Amino acid sequence: MSANDPLSHLSEAQLLAMTADLDAMHHDVALPALTDSLAEWTDDIRSQGDGGRDADADRQLQFDRRRFLTRAAGTAGGIAGVALLAACSSSSSSSTSAASSSSASSASASASATAATGAPAGTAMGEGQMLSGDLQVVAMAASLENSGIATYMAGIKAATAGKLGTVPPAVVTFAETAMAQHQDHQKAWNAVLTAAGKQPVTATDPVIQPTINAALAKVTNTTQLAELALLVENTAGQTYQNGLSVITSAAGIKTAASIQPVEFQHAAILYYVLGKYPVPNAFTGVSLARPPSDYHT
Amino acid sequence: MEIDETALSGLIEESQDTHADALRSAKGPLADMVDLGQQTRAGSALDPDENRAFAVENRRRLGSIARRAGGLLAATGVIAAIADYIGSPAFAASGTDVQVLQTASSIEVLAVSTYKTALGLPYIGGSSANPVIKAFATTTMGQHADHLAAFQSATTSLGGTKQTKPDPAFVPVADKAVAAITKAPASQGALLVVALALELENIAAETYVNNMSLLTNASAKKLTASIMGVEAQHVAILLAVQALLKAGDAADITLPPPVAKLPAAAGAVGFPNAFYPTTNAAPASQGAL
Repeated sequence: MSANDPLSHLSEAQLLAMTADLDAMHHDVALPALTDSLAEWTDDIRSQGDGGRDADADRQLQFDRRRFLTRAAGTAGGIAGVALLAACSSSSSSSTSAASSSSASSASASASATAATGAPAGTAMGEGQMLSGDLQVVAMAASLENSGIATYMAGIKAATAGKLGTVPPAVVTFAETAMAQHQDHQKAWNAVLTAAGKQPVTATDPVIQPTINAALAKVTNTTQLAELALLVENTAGQTYQNGLSVITSAAGIKTAASIQPVEFQHAAILYYVLGKYPVPNAFTGVSLARPPSDYHT
Repeated sequence: MEIDETALSGLIEESQDTHADALRSAKGPLADMVDLGQQTRAGSALDPDENRAFAVENRRRLGSIARRAGGLLAATGVIAAIADYIGSPAFAASGTDVQVLQTASSIEVLAVSTYKTALGLPYIGGSSANPVIKAFATTTMGQHADHLAAFQSATTSLGGTKQTKPDPAFVPVADKAVAAITKAPASQGALLVVALALELENIAAETYVNNMSLLTNASAKKLTASIMGVEAQHVAILLAVQALLKAGDAADITLPPPVAKLPAAAGAVGFPNAFYPTTNAAPASQGAL
């Protein structure tokens, strides 16, 4: 619908002005505060060495990968299919292979993922650093953001190519804005890694990405894409919620706490667009949370 | 108004089933807190470092509020006096986490009462109300009541007294807004209600985000983390509803919304920040007993 559509009083200019005001507020207030938190967190990590966390944190994160995948497959429903579970529930290395094999799909995220993160195909960085403690949580978060970016980028690419039918302009704006925010989150997480002398993580989440890729290959309309995006957003929000119990640095907690609600806001809008009740739970859970322990490679 | 109220009721019921599952997951942190509260009451002393850190954080927060209020409080030295009081042994006797939880409870008390008042208005909770807005207000009030019960339970688990009164700093603001709402015609009243709800939801979300780095008890952290995202979701939906109301498109507030009709910018109106701010967070001890 154009701004001049007589059916609506909703002015594109009005909304753009509101968005610009809110965006200005975000840059005036939120980003400087975040920069302070990141700097403080970096100092914390340096002062504590690589790990910066006691062994109890590992014990708090004994999430079963199969449980995650079961729920993920259930959430993705007809898009992902139960067959994905078998393909993804093996080891991380085999999951990574599955990601590679499914990357040939029409709406595959793999190529888009590397494009989104600035690394050329096949050279995604960040794995193999043997991180521990807060830095392991950060690496998992960065990889999850990369998966989020990849999902939206692949969706936008498919929409642009006409593979999703008619895509409403508001859906395109949602995808572009959510992707941009995930890029901001990824940069924030990676800033902590690079400040600690580590490589930034430009690879996607090695476990969830095969599920996303397979689902993307079957997406034929915006509803299916929104369902997949909802799974990604809920996974991200729940992962950071879980991370808040694991991260030891106060500044790190501030950073994760500032990102978690935003992922859940994305989820609320997706629920709404899909015709589901937008705030389904009085308490958000962690059943989809990705364990940092998966990020050992 | 195109809406299938039966379908909407089904969705709410489905949501309530899911909510019941989530409530069960919130019981874990609360049970942990009971154990910790018993240990705390058994004789552990307050950590002086923790108390000092809490006072510093509150001084910073109070300073921020004073600056927003024009600096008058800061100029008169009131902020320093309050911050010193907060850092005093007498104030800290109830413990940092308890104060944080009491403040959270006070915000939830205000939220519940505000939604209850709003639902008494014919255009929010009456026969002339938009069904989606009415369902949202009703469900959201229930969710805040759940949050209140959880924060109160956590408070008592840590040996504190549960807060049952609204946050004193925000009561005058809410009262003033409610007075304006009751005088306004329905066409303007709905927007004023949404604006007030947005303010309260943002205060709640920002306060809980801020509290995450203040809380020391693991279960209190888990509980707060499980609630702050929900308040942020309320904000997202209220921002979307506000945009439609401001444009005079109340008829488009349906579930699902008429996405194809909406302008491009509507897609991003619900989540303006990549990082959730804390500038409007309530001082952690503002609602403490």
